[in-house]
Amino acid sequence: MMSEKVAIIAANGGLFDAYKVFNIATAAAASEKEVQIFFTFEGLNLIHKQGMHHLEMPAGKEHFAEGFEKANTPTIPELVEMAQELGVKFIACQMTMDVMGLTKEDFVNGIEVGGAVTFIEFAKNAAPTLTF
Amino acid sequence: MNITKTLDAKGLACPMPVVRTKKAIDTINSGEILEVLATDKGALSDITAWAKSGGHTLLEQKTEDDILYFYIQKA
Repeated sequence: MMSEKVAIIAANGGLFDAYKVFNIATAAAASEKEVQIFFTFEGLNLIHKQGMHHLEMPAGKEHFAEGFEKANTPTIPELVEMAQELGVKFIACQMTMDVMGLTKEDFVNGIEVGGAVTFIEFAKNAAPTLTF
Repeated sequence: MNITKTLDAKGLACPMPVVRTKKAIDTINSGEILEVLATDKGALSDITAWAKSGGHTLLEQKTEDDILYFYIQKA
């Protein structure tokens, strides 16, 4: 029996990272999978209310901006909304938030705050578990 | 073929064709047919795989003038 859960760890905060995380998450959710994303360290950028509008491309790759526009890719805020609409659950890492002085209000609505154990409990019978 | 609903996903990039297809299929009944139009080349394998994972039947797929057409019967 195939697992009906997909567990994703988002540990990086750039624009490319965001696309990798949210494309896989929305595709999985659209395929009737139960999806949770654990956002930790720089990954918290991806769901930060202001930060998610200003995600950067890796140094030297800025010329891809044109490609994104030409390919008509959805924006990250659009993908975040889409993911939540499809039932993807976002968990923000409590420890990272404490270190960075962030509170739940700094993030998009509807997230949960939790520790690594919360995520591990979900991920223990998820396949695949992906890290970005 | 008796098409119940048509989804125009032309011009949309991954993962939107699949996301929109999922939303559209949620609005029709089991056994009814959804027609999907897309131009994202990745949709060819993606929508095919998506239909399979959901147990839906891809009755027909064709490509005309760079537009991909899918006919999906809901499970």
